[in-house]
Amino acid sequence: MSLFQDYETESFYDEMFEANGKPRPHYQKLYARLSQMSPEEFRKRTLLADKALIQQGITFTVYGDEKGTERPFPFDLIPRIVPTPEWELLERGLKQRLTALNLFLHDIYHDQKILNDGIVPRELVVGAVNFRPQFRYADPPAGIYVHICGSDLIRDADGTYRVLEDNLRTPSGVSYVLESRIILTRTFPSLFSDIAVRPVDHYTTQLLANLRELAPPGREEDPNVVLLTPGVFNSAYFEHSFLAQQLGIELLEGRDLFCDDNIVYMKTTRGPQRVDVIYRRVDDDFLDPLTFRPDSVLGVPGLVNAYRAGNVALANSIGTGIADDKVIYAFVPRIIEYYLGEKALIPNVETYLASNPQDYTYILENLDKLVVKAANESGGYGMLMGHKSTQKEREEFAERIKAEPRNYIAQPLIALSRAPAFVEDHCEGRHIDLRPYLLYGKSGITLIPGALTRVALRKGSYVVNSSQGGGSKDTWVLAEGQETLTQQMGGMSQTMSATGMSQSFTLPGSPSTLQANEGGAQ
Amino acid sequence: MRLRVKHTTNYIYSQPVKEAHTEVRLLPHSDNAQTCLSFHLTTRPHANLFHYDLPSGRVHHFNIRPPHSEQSVTVESLVATHLKDPFSRLPLLDNDASFYTQPEVRQRYYEYLIATKRVPLLEEVDRFAEAVRANREGNTACFLTELTRHLHGVFVYTPGATTVHSRLEEFLEQREGVCQDFAHLLLAICRRQGIPARYASGYIYTGSASTIEEVSYHAEGPGLVGDGGMHAWVECLLPNGVWVGFDPTNDLVVNDHYIKVHYGRDYSDVTPVLGVYSGEVTNTLDVSVRVTYEGD
Repeated sequence: MSLFQDYETESFYDEMFEANGKPRPHYQKLYARLSQMSPEEFRKRTLLADKALIQQGITFTVYGDEKGTERPFPFDLIPRIVPTPEWELLERGLKQRLTALNLFLHDIYHDQKILNDGIVPRELVVGAVNFRPQFRYADPPAGIYVHICGSDLIRDADGTYRVLEDNLRTPSGVSYVLESRIILTRTFPSLFSDIAVRPVDHYTTQLLANLRELAPPGREEDPNVVLLTPGVFNSAYFEHSFLAQQLGIELLEGRDLFCDDNIVYMKTTRGPQRVDVIYRRVDDDFLDPLTFRPDSVLGVPGLVNAYRAGNVALANSIGTGIADDKVIYAFVPRIIEYYLGEKALIPNVETYLASNPQDYTYILENLDKLVVKAANESGGYGMLMGHKSTQKEREEFAERIKAEPRNYIAQPLIALSRAPAFVEDHCEGRHIDLRPYLLYGKSGITLIPGALTRVALRKGSYVVNSSQGGGSKDTWVLAEGQETLTQQMGGMSQTMSATGMSQSFTLPGSPSTLQANEGGAQ
Repeated sequence: MRLRVKHTTNYIYSQPVKEAHTEVRLLPHSDNAQTCLSFHLTTRPHANLFHYDLPSGRVHHFNIRPPHSEQSVTVESLVATHLKDPFSRLPLLDNDASFYTQPEVRQRYYEYLIATKRVPLLEEVDRFAEAVRANREGNTACFLTELTRHLHGVFVYTPGATTVHSRLEEFLEQREGVCQDFAHLLLAICRRQGIPARYASGYIYTGSASTIEEVSYHAEGPGLVGDGGMHAWVECLLPNGVWVGFDPTNDLVVNDHYIKVHYGRDYSDVTPVLGVYSGEVTNTLDVSVRVTYEGD
C-alpha cells in the first residue's frame, strides 16, 4: 500500500497533485521517493521526528488551556514545495508590500500625507487601538519601522497566492522554520540530495547583521544586542530562547534592564552594561509603563524615551500594529499605489469593512457564508467561521459588529489550497497557508527562501493557527537550475554517501544527540 | 502682560521609592498668543533633564534611581501674553455653522472629534447645546461664547468635589467639579456638535493669587478661579481656522490672563507630571501654583 493510494484532491487546489491525480512537476522527485516508502516506515519516521521535537523542546502554549502550559508543536513530515517562478513572484510582491507598509508607517507618524489626501480615512488610523500617537514625530534609525515581517499568504481555488494578513509587530514562528528543516534533514536525509532545496539557516546571520547595524552612533563597533521577552508564560517563549541562542545574544526580561539618563543598561554580575539594540518580543502596550500601560511590569520604564532619543534601537519599532490592523489591510493595495506608483503584485483577499455602511449590511445578511474577524486579534481568536457557525454564534457576532463596526471585517471563505498530510497510515489533503519571513535592514529587504507552512490538521478545518489545532510543514523553495545542493547547517555536521546516510549532530545548547539512519527506506 | 509662574509639585511617599521615571509637561507655549521668555525646571532630588518636542508642547523627562522619600518638580516661567482683546479674533457675524458639516473638516480633525476615555460622547449633553441654540443663529463663536456662559451658570466650581479620576457622568450628576470637569464636558458637547475641540492645560492669572505687594493690575472678575493649581479650558476650531480658548469654569473667552502649556484630546494627553516608580507605597501630593503680574 502506498502513502498516496486513494488520495483525493477533491475540488481544492492541491499543492502536490494536479486535478487528474498526476503529481505536479516540481513534486515528482518527492513523490517518487515517498511512493516507495511503506506507511509503516513513514510512521516510524514520524515518531522519530516527534521525539526530536519534544527533546528539542519545540512546543507552544495555548492560552486559556488549563491542562498545561506547553504542548509539542505538531509537525507533518511531507514538505511543501514552492517552485522557483512562484517564489520569485512572492519575493517581488512581498518586498513591494513591506516597502510600502514601512513608508505608510513613517508617513502616519509624521506628516500624515496619505490621510490628508484621503487615500486612507483618518478615522481608521487615529482612532485605532494600535495607533500610538505618543510615538508620532519620532525617528527610528534609517526610517525603518518593520525590521522583521511575517505575512500570511494563502492560495485560493485557482492556486493564486493572496496575502491574508500582515504581521508587523512581533511575528513568531521562524524558529519552526529553522527547526523543522533540521528535523526533516535528519529524518529524510536522502531527499535533500535529490532535490535542490534552498537553505534557510542564514536567517539568524542576516537578522543579527541587521540588528547590529541599528546600533546608535558611536556604538557601531561592538554593539550589545539583546532579545527582550515577556517571559516563560508567553506562548512564543520557546522561540525567544531559541533565537537568542542562535543569535548568540542575551535573552532578557524587562526586570533585567533599566534606564538611566536616557541610556538603557542590562544588569550583570559585573555591573551595568549598556544595551544598544533590543530585539523585542514584548508588545507596545507592555514595553514601557511610563509611556504605555502604567500597570505593566514586563517592560522597562524610560525605554521609549531612550529610543526616541536614538540611544537604543528597537526592532520592531513602536506603533507598527496600525499597519497590520485588519481594517487597514483592506487599503494595502491603495497604499502600495500611493507610495510606489505600482499595482500590488500579490493581491489581497476581498474584504468587507463593517465600518462601511454598504459592507455592514452585506456582512450582517451573510454571516453564514463569511469569515468575520476582529480587527486587532491574532492567533485565530475573535473569529467567526460562518459556514461552520451555529445560530447562536452568529447572533453573538452580529451584536459585537453592531456595537463596534470599526472593529470588524469580513472575508469570503476562501477554499484554501491543500497539501497531503500523513494521517495514521495514509495521506489526506489538508488546508495550508504560508508565512514567509522578511528582514528589513539598512541595506535592503531580504526574503528568506523558506517559510512556515501551517496546516490545519483537523479534517476539513480551515484554521491553521497552532492555538486552534494547526501544525506545520517544512517549506522547500527550489533552487533554480540546480540539481543538488549541499545543506549547510549551523552546529551540525553531516556525511552523505551514495549507499546510505547517517548523521549525528548536536544542536547548540542541547545535550541530546540523535541518530537517524535511512537504510530501511531504500 | 508679563506673568511669572512658580509651580511646585511635591510627592511625599510613605516609604522610600526607587527607579522613579517622570515626564513633565510644563513648558509654556510660544505662539501668537504668548511668548515664553524664560523657563527653569528643577527637581529634588537632583536629576539630569532631557526633553523631546511635540506640536502639542515640550515634554521634559528625568529619572531618579536611588531610594528617595520625596520628589519635587519646580518650574519658574516668565511669559508675555498678547491677547488683550480676545474678541478681535472671533468671527461674530458670519453664518458659518455649515463649516462643520464638511466631510474634510471631520477628516482633518478627527482626533478632536471623537470620544476618549475621559470624554465619552454622551447623548445627554446635547441638551446644553440645545439650550443655547436659540441664541446661536448659525454663528459658531456666539454659540460657543453662550455655551460657555451657560455651563458656568449650571455647574458649580467646587474644589475637591471631584478627583482626577472622576468620570464625566459624575460631574453631570452632581453638577459640581473643577476646571478639568468643566473642560471635559465642554469637549463632549462640542464634539457631538461636530466642532473640533481640544483640551488645553495651563495657568490663569486671577489677580488674587499674588503675594507681591506692588501688583498694580486688577482682575476684572474677583471671582476668577484657577484651582490654586493648574487650570484647564477648551480650544475650539473656529471656521476661520483659528483655535480659540473657551473657559466654562470662569465664563471667559481666553484672554491675556491665560498661559497655555499643553493641549491634547483630554487630560490624559497633558498630564503635567506623570511618573512611575518602584515601591508599594502611598503618596501625598502637594501642588502649589503662583501666578504673579510683572508688568505690561
